[in-house]
Amino acid sequence: MSMSRRQFLASMGGTGLLYAIRFVPEASAQTGSFEPILADDEVPICIAEYIDIDYRDWIAFGPDGKISVFTGRTELGQGLKTVITAFVTQGLEISQEDLTVVQGDTDLCPDDGPTYGSAATRQVGWGFWLACQKIRSNLVKRAARWLGMPIGELEFKSGGVGRKGEKGKLIDAYELGRGETVILNIDTTTSSTGRQYVDHEIANVNAETIVTGTLKYVGDLHMPGMLYAGWLCQPYHRNLTKIQSVDMREAKALPGVKTVNVVRGRVAVIGERYSDVVKSLDLVKATWSTPNRPKELRVEEEARAGAQLILLKEEAGDVDAGLASSDLVVSETYTTQYISHAQIETDIALAMPEDTNGKVTVWVSSQWPYRARELIAETLKMPLSNVRTIAMPVGGAFGGKIGNPVTREAALLASVSGTPIKLIYSRKDQFKLRSHFKAACIIDVTTGVTADGRMVARKVDSFQDEACGTIFTYDIPNVLVRAYEAKWPFGRAVSRGTSFVQTCFATESHVDMVAHKLSMDPLEFRRRNVVFPSFVNLIDTCAQMIGYDNPQLGVDEGLGMAIVHHGGCELGALAAIVAVDRVSGQIKVKQICAAFDIGTVINRRTATVGLRGGIAWGIGFALSEEVKLDGHSTNTEYLSEYRIPRFSDMPPIEITFLDNHNPDGTPRGCGEMPVVPVSGAIANAVYNAVGVRLYSTPFTPERVKKALGSA
Amino acid sequence: MAKKNVTLNVNGQRRQVTVELDEPLLWVLRDDLGLTGTKFGCGTGVCGACSVLVDGVARRSCRIPVAYVAAGQEIVTIEGLGTLGNLSLLQQAFVDHTAFCCGYCTPGMIITATALLAENPNPTREEIVEAMDYNLCRCGSYLNIIEAIESVINT
Repeated sequence: MSMSRRQFLASMGGTGLLYAIRFVPEASAQTGSFEPILADDEVPICIAEYIDIDYRDWIAFGPDGKISVFTGRTELGQGLKTVITAFVTQGLEISQEDLTVVQGDTDLCPDDGPTYGSAATRQVGWGFWLACQKIRSNLVKRAARWLGMPIGELEFKSGGVGRKGEKGKLIDAYELGRGETVILNIDTTTSSTGRQYVDHEIANVNAETIVTGTLKYVGDLHMPGMLYAGWLCQPYHRNLTKIQSVDMREAKALPGVKTVNVVRGRVAVIGERYSDVVKSLDLVKATWSTPNRPKELRVEEEARAGAQLILLKEEAGDVDAGLASSDLVVSETYTTQYISHAQIETDIALAMPEDTNGKVTVWVSSQWPYRARELIAETLKMPLSNVRTIAMPVGGAFGGKIGNPVTREAALLASVSGTPIKLIYSRKDQFKLRSHFKAACIIDVTTGVTADGRMVARKVDSFQDEACGTIFTYDIPNVLVRAYEAKWPFGRAVSRGTSFVQTCFATESHVDMVAHKLSMDPLEFRRRNVVFPSFVNLIDTCAQMIGYDNPQLGVDEGLGMAIVHHGGCELGALAAIVAVDRVSGQIKVKQICAAFDIGTVINRRTATVGLRGGIAWGIGFALSEEVKLDGHSTNTEYLSEYRIPRFSDMPPIEITFLDNHNPDGTPRGCGEMPVVPVSGAIANAVYNAVGVRLYSTPFTPERVKKALGSA
Repeated sequence: MAKKNVTLNVNGQRRQVTVELDEPLLWVLRDDLGLTGTKFGCGTGVCGACSVLVDGVARRSCRIPVAYVAAGQEIVTIEGLGTLGNLSLLQQAFVDHTAFCCGYCTPGMIITATALLAENPNPTREEIVEAMDYNLCRCGSYLNIIEAIESVINT
């Protein structure tokens, strides 16, 4: 079962030259302290089976022009495999049939870190492109030495090196260092080849298997003797209760049920079929301890009272003096709700028990198979080398499948039962057992401005529970931003857009309110204060797209915009037109236009569908999604109780790509950024439509009616 | 409940399985017949990832006891619509319009759209939205799916 990378390459027909790519960390690259680039050094650094973990990805040349690439980053639907395929086939001039892409197999691939943060394409994908450029020149140098010819007479040709101006190869890349490993240092942040690569239309390499239902996700794998498993779901938040007594007799008596047992304090059922497990779990009679805290949940009070730790603090100038000197000071508080990842593929893993060599293999739906391996090794108390995790394509992750416990739980149950185990979380498990959410957030924001619309000072206090990012959107001399970790009793998670989503909702709503109080056009107010000139272009483009100067609006319809600065280099302006039904309180988003600057667009098709999907997430956050909780329990159990956006919620969306901000034209991420500005733009459009400000997401009909009633 | 022999008509073939009569069709397709293109998403008929055609109508296979479709009803799964290298028009349109990100909901989307187009070969955008509205895509690929469906109208 277990196979080393070199064995894998041997099975592909032989081991040729292996390039290990080391991505220079962005932080050190920016400070200029990265190590000298060794790529063009022709001396092989090592001939090694095992390479230090710093060395990230691999490109291996096999015989017959075959090339294999290895990366630890996984396929989440972001199209990473497509991007890598496009870069490597073009970069090394080979056909798709000659390329094998191996992702997320811990025995074969390096630990790239987690697949998140809109980073895979700009780091790994782009890294492979840059690596291909270096590999080409390195192969020419190697060939010159090998053939005893001047470098100038040679050039890279598909799969090898040949004489300039002549057809055919003089030597295969495979021959130029069989069994050798060369290390390439790649700095993905700077590149003279910046805008060289442009391919606007690349078909998803998994497309045909997706549409025929033949792409295998974890759930689609089957092992001989495999059994299904499930956990008994607790009635309260998992950290607030313990099982007190359990009667498993009826559950055990059911046909098809193999075992019902308490495993590490939790009741697990193992059965022949998924349905056997579901039916059996219904028959388990258990009593649980009542949580030792009030059932009533006062989110805002608890967040403020529980704030124990400053997660982040950013300070510039003197905010108090700045506010004191301002002509106008506006203070507001915004709140947000609990959000579920609600992936259509629930948490799942398939685990084999220990084989004769003591090795455990687990197929995972994970953003970080290496973290899954650590969790499994820790759970089974075995060395890391005895665990192999294999990442399958993921049916939706969105931040929810980074350290997902289902991986270690499946391994535990396989180990206990001695059989292959497929553990599937039900939808209720997803809400109540996993019980981790993008946390609610309370944001106090105060801004001081001059009478002519210059921002002088801003203070933001954010009480939250999610990895946070601040937003450098405006050029303000006096700033104090503090994010406090609010201690909630239940699980917390990062999810698409992280806390940029909550913060941007608050700050971009607030910016509009300040502009209104100044009697200034909100876009003009933004133009005067944005931190980068490229924002002005984005705002103008977006305004033109949506017809800002002469909007076609009906009764109770309005137009609003928000701008976003995400992840250091991704910028955008997004405008929405909404219609508000005063009777029902329903908000209908009628149109969205956005101008995004994500550097060089690698794959226009994947980028467009991803950006639109991110906007859909923003619409769900703004209008309908909310996990219902009280102090004891998650009360949302079914997907029917948690409204993610549907076809009928989607407006026409128009997107324009601009590429002005990054001088080198390197690609940037686009998975998270589009989520961020949507709720602010919708809130501003509602204000424009009916003159009421919505301070809390989601903007449910009840909230809208209440706001209209008190206006 | 005891297991019984049940004969199903799946993708034009008669297939015999031995299962309990209340076993959801979804799990019979996936585990007994190896047709894993039909996905488990919610188990309560909300998401549509498990959609299959039963006598031409898109149905939620997670909510159909196998006994209900054992009288010769024609069951068609995603595997019955087209195969690698021999895609249906709609499958090809989904490829051409990148009408997915992760692809997990896609088989259910294609099944539901296939049923729509069989019943109404020339739907308006509103009719497409209405017919598809109970199939969920968390990646949010909805607009691309609509564009894919519209592209095969009148072809």
